[in-house]
Amino acid sequence: MNLQDFSLRRYRKRLLPLSILLLLVILSARVCGVSGEGLRSGIIKGYAFLGHLFPPDWAAFPEMIGPAFESVVIALLATFFGVFLSLCFALAAAANISYPWLRSLSRAFIAIERSLPEIIIVLILVAAFGLGPVPGMLALTLGCIGMLGKLFADAIEEIDIVTIEAIEAVGANKGQVIVFGVLPQIMPRVISYAMFRFEINIRLSVLLGAVGAGGIGYELDSAFNLLQYHRAFTALIVTLLLVFIIERLSGYLRKKIKVEGALK
Amino acid sequence: MKNPSPILLPSVRYRRRATVFVLLSLAITGISIYLNFNPLLLFTEFHYVRDLIGEMLPPNFSILWTNKTILGSVGQTLAMAFLGTLAGGTIAICMAFLAASNTMPLKLVRIFVRALLALERIIPVLVTVLLFVIAVGLGPFAGVLTITVTTVGTFGKLFTEAIENAEHAPAEAIFSVGATRWQVAHFSILPQVLPSFIANFLYAFDINLRVAIGLGIFGAGGIGLQLYMAMKVLHYPDALALLCVSTALIMLTEKLSDHLRKKIL
Repeated sequence: MNLQDFSLRRYRKRLLPLSILLLLVILSARVCGVSGEGLRSGIIKGYAFLGHLFPPDWAAFPEMIGPAFESVVIALLATFFGVFLSLCFALAAAANISYPWLRSLSRAFIAIERSLPEIIIVLILVAAFGLGPVPGMLALTLGCIGMLGKLFADAIEEIDIVTIEAIEAVGANKGQVIVFGVLPQIMPRVISYAMFRFEINIRLSVLLGAVGAGGIGYELDSAFNLLQYHRAFTALIVTLLLVFIIERLSGYLRKKIKVEGALK
Repeated sequence: MKNPSPILLPSVRYRRRATVFVLLSLAITGISIYLNFNPLLLFTEFHYVRDLIGEMLPPNFSILWTNKTILGSVGQTLAMAFLGTLAGGTIAICMAFLAASNTMPLKLVRIFVRALLALERIIPVLVTVLLFVIAVGLGPFAGVLTITVTTVGTFGKLFTEAIENAEHAPAEAIFSVGATRWQVAHFSILPQVLPSFIANFLYAFDINLRVAIGLGIFGAGGIGLQLYMAMKVLHYPDALALLCVSTALIMLTEKLSDHLRKKIL
């Protein structure tokens, strides 16, 4: 060990990335208008605003149950349809089941789907079908394909090929191979991913409600816009309870169905 | 699995499958009726989608260079996602060190930080953004704060688990030659978990870009707001062009982040 080890040279390797990072931070802070002054006054304003929320309007509580149920139901139906469609797309996108041209087509579709945020999809669907829970449900279904399609396709590509060969050897056609060879192998993972996605769908259905998909998100957003803050606080409490319960339930169920390599 | 599942007679197996199938289809039908959702409508009313697509085509790409604000909004969205990811990730790392059992000796602090992280995870994005828009006003700053909070919620728990799963032997070795707790965290645990943290940062940026586009609609500005406005005033060709821009942006980021992540891990 000599003196050179403590010179600037030792840190030069880190200096460049760090200075680039700092430059980017300063640049984007300027673009976004981030300021300490704004944050300070914002904290004071936000704190004062929280005072307006209390106490929650308990009379509005029964009115919130229906929309909350609607949010859950939208997410549930979207998960059902989404998982089914994702399975179809994943089977078409898996290298060991599908034909090469079908595979690239399906993969491309899944990739495009994944790069469209659900909220943008719902904007387009609302323009086509009008307001209501159906566009929200369809948007969540399409969102499922983007995420689950890729995960399922990867799961199918990892399955044990020996089973498939055995089934093929006794004369099964493509449909039978899929039903008796592929699906039983990926089923635990499908269920685990589906529950994970259901959790995401619940959160998203709250968000989508605000752009016109109905449910508790709509109640929350409209109460905020009408300055009915007590009512908004009630909706907030219901939402938090909803998300919390669903998260616990899904976590518990996923722990029961333990799968190797499953999402946490 | 430890105990192999008992072998069932095919008749029992089929009956079980049939029950699950019937229950599922009953649930789906029930919910569809409740939501007034008729799958056939998708086909009979498909002409609405066709009309919309007809109105959108061809995309008006000239808006990208005639309207100077578009490029600025793309920059705003990117900057929002970047700052939010960096700030949120950094706070998440700090909180993870406070919540992990091998770096934080005080149980009370651990429980408090864990509760805070759990609370942050269940607060919906919608609520956070509405609150921040009221607190700091419309604009990307509210978006940055929202993304920061969500990122802390998503990654706090993950980072805590990563720290707790770090190898104990190096930490003990350093501790036994007289290192302080701070030094143990700095020289033994941080080098072990840093690559996975950076990989997670890249992943988070990927996700946060989508969130940033979505947040634009709720008043955080950026490309999401431009898209929303174009849809609202029925300038569909402009909207399609903006849609293509945001899709390309997300796809590029995803490819880039995948590439960088593979290099790091």
